[in-house]
Amino acid sequence: MSTRQSGTLVINDGFTCCAKCSAKIGPSGQPWKQLAAVSVIKVSEIPGSTSSTHQNVEIRHFSCPKCLTLLDSETALPEDPFLDDVISN
Amino acid sequence: MDPITFSIIRHRLYRVVEEAVITLKHVSGSAITNEGHDLMVSLYEADGTLLLGGVGFLHHLTSAAEACKSIIRRFDGDVHEGDLFLLNDPFTAALHTSDIYLVSPIHYKGELIAWSACFVHVYDIGAMNPGGFAPDAVDVFSEGFSSPGLKLVDRGNLRQDVWDTLLNMVRGPEMVALDLRSMIACNNVAKDRMVALVEKYGLPTFQETCKSLVTQSESRLRERLRELPDGSWQSRQYFDVKGEVYKVLLKMTKKDDELTFDFTGSSPQSKYSVNCTKWASLGGLFAPLFPLLCYDITWNEGVIRPIKVIAPEGSIVNCTKPSPVSVATVGAIQSVNNAACTTIAKMLASHDKYEDQTSAVWHANHFAVFMFGKNQRGGDAIGILTETFAGAGGARTFADGVDIGGEIPNPISRMANVETVEAMFPVRYLFRRRLKDSGGGGEFRGGTGGEIALVPHDAPDGGMHYVLSGKGSKFPQSEGLNGGNPGALNDYVWVHSDDSKASHNCFSQSLSSIPGEKESISWGVFPLMGNDALYVRWNGGGGVGDSLDREPSAVLSDVINSLISPEAAKEIYGVVISNNLVDEAKTIELRNSLKSERVDAKASQK
Repeated sequence: MSTRQSGTLVINDGFTCCAKCSAKIGPSGQPWKQLAAVSVIKVSEIPGSTSSTHQNVEIRHFSCPKCLTLLDSETALPEDPFLDDVISN
Repeated sequence: MDPITFSIIRHRLYRVVEEAVITLKHVSGSAITNEGHDLMVSLYEADGTLLLGGVGFLHHLTSAAEACKSIIRRFDGDVHEGDLFLLNDPFTAALHTSDIYLVSPIHYKGELIAWSACFVHVYDIGAMNPGGFAPDAVDVFSEGFSSPGLKLVDRGNLRQDVWDTLLNMVRGPEMVALDLRSMIACNNVAKDRMVALVEKYGLPTFQETCKSLVTQSESRLRERLRELPDGSWQSRQYFDVKGEVYKVLLKMTKKDDELTFDFTGSSPQSKYSVNCTKWASLGGLFAPLFPLLCYDITWNEGVIRPIKVIAPEGSIVNCTKPSPVSVATVGAIQSVNNAACTTIAKMLASHDKYEDQTSAVWHANHFAVFMFGKNQRGGDAIGILTETFAGAGGARTFADGVDIGGEIPNPISRMANVETVEAMFPVRYLFRRRLKDSGGGGEFRGGTGGEIALVPHDAPDGGMHYVLSGKGSKFPQSEGLNGGNPGALNDYVWVHSDDSKASHNCFSQSLSSIPGEKESISWGVFPLMGNDALYVRWNGGGGVGDSLDREPSAVLSDVINSLISPEAAKEIYGVVISNNLVDEAKTIELRNSLKSERVDAKASQK
């Protein structure tokens, strides 16, 4: 039986899984983002940005390594670590 | 107690607050109160326990509660029927000096039974910059007068010496007097209605209801928290002042029926006036908590009890005196608000039952533009551009965010009509409209922000000046949810006049078509003189879900309505539009291609 972890993730048999394809991403109760597919885009390159936009700020996209469904995103400067969201076991 | 009586009294308390808010608006003459609804009214038990927070700026509910308790402590033994107290010291309870609290005891047959409190952002507070926000301030002492508590009305008699002293320290004393009188009237209305309520139902029933109301809120919030999974969620907000980057870092931990908000890792306090005192941070995190987590629970002290806060002293979320704080409400407080909104939203998204109650971040970056100078009638004018209250809705898990849809901490805010602003100040709008490509991308798009351009008009001094402050224009702050993108950023542009083409700007309909050299600005005092123009754009709300899952027909509709550009349709949503129709085959192809890049990017990192 699976339980919901977020709008895009479920917990299945002790694993954080993609809610769409059920692929295992990592052990539940632990940070999962480093095990996801990570793609990065500079905010300054997105339509709607301005010349004032900080040149280094980026949006990180975390996707299912199997089906590439987008699981989460976060705004970050490159030197800052991933934000971790963890549901306790 | 009888549940029907309980419910009637509860609703009567809401109506007391509502009528007091109407009084504030009717008596105050400033657009920031009438249009922006930068106000709040709340009721307290005799010991200062928050009984009922009403609508208005929710950042103030917890700090006004502390103001009430602080007044009770300071004036112990010297509180009488008909008294009225003033407090605006940020290091005692207030958010910043220009948001003045007036706190009033409520007596029934000689017995203290309750308190009421309210605030408005007064017309001026005597800070070094007009209007209250003081980007030039180096400490709290240069941000206008601040009182940890004084008696303004003694047993029903206005203390004229105190009144005259206050008005002697501010610009536009007649307008500040109107603000103060609006708050006196507001408290008087609250007092009269509360006394009438007690008269009708009797003091014991009233007091029992108050106790039950607080207990009920606490038990209902704890029950809700127990339904949600234990865990921790993080969020991060960046903002900048004059090139210096600040960070608010939050880890929210939920265990059993308690929530802990830990801001460890946030930036040290700033030399600029964007800092939060601890009261301001408390207000900032509760502002989204009340509506998101307690949408069906009475907002009072019971909601506060299960919440713990860790805010390191000396940080931007708990600065030490005499740090400047006058810009806090549009500075770090709002970042605390946004960070808390994100973590609460992620927690709600972790439970099927609450999926529909969650939201991406709404209007995350106020722009504070206070105009000042001579108006077209030769009088002095100070006031905020109320478009900052127009906001933008964050997307939900089932719908787009509302375009120019307000903000979570102030659900009743709005902006003044263009004509109202043009009547108050010697300016003319070139345009005011929704801002293309400002809503964060997602399966459900964030609501758009807006853009305006102003030029001087009929100005006896050739124009005006304005104070500009806030959180800069370098970072998106309306975070998305479930993979959604953040809303676009604010920007402020001073267009220096090009005299040879001055007449051209009469009908300019975009920033690019306004003639003159364009300079990005974000902090300080600037002129709007001669043929210059001021362009301001404000952020949209965050998106929810994967942009590549958005219905292509919705993307097409957004393009047709100028809410997104054809470039955004392609690059963000993967939708190919040709002759005002979606090219379905090319859209599938493009979306597959964009999706495949998610793997490629990861591979290239290795």
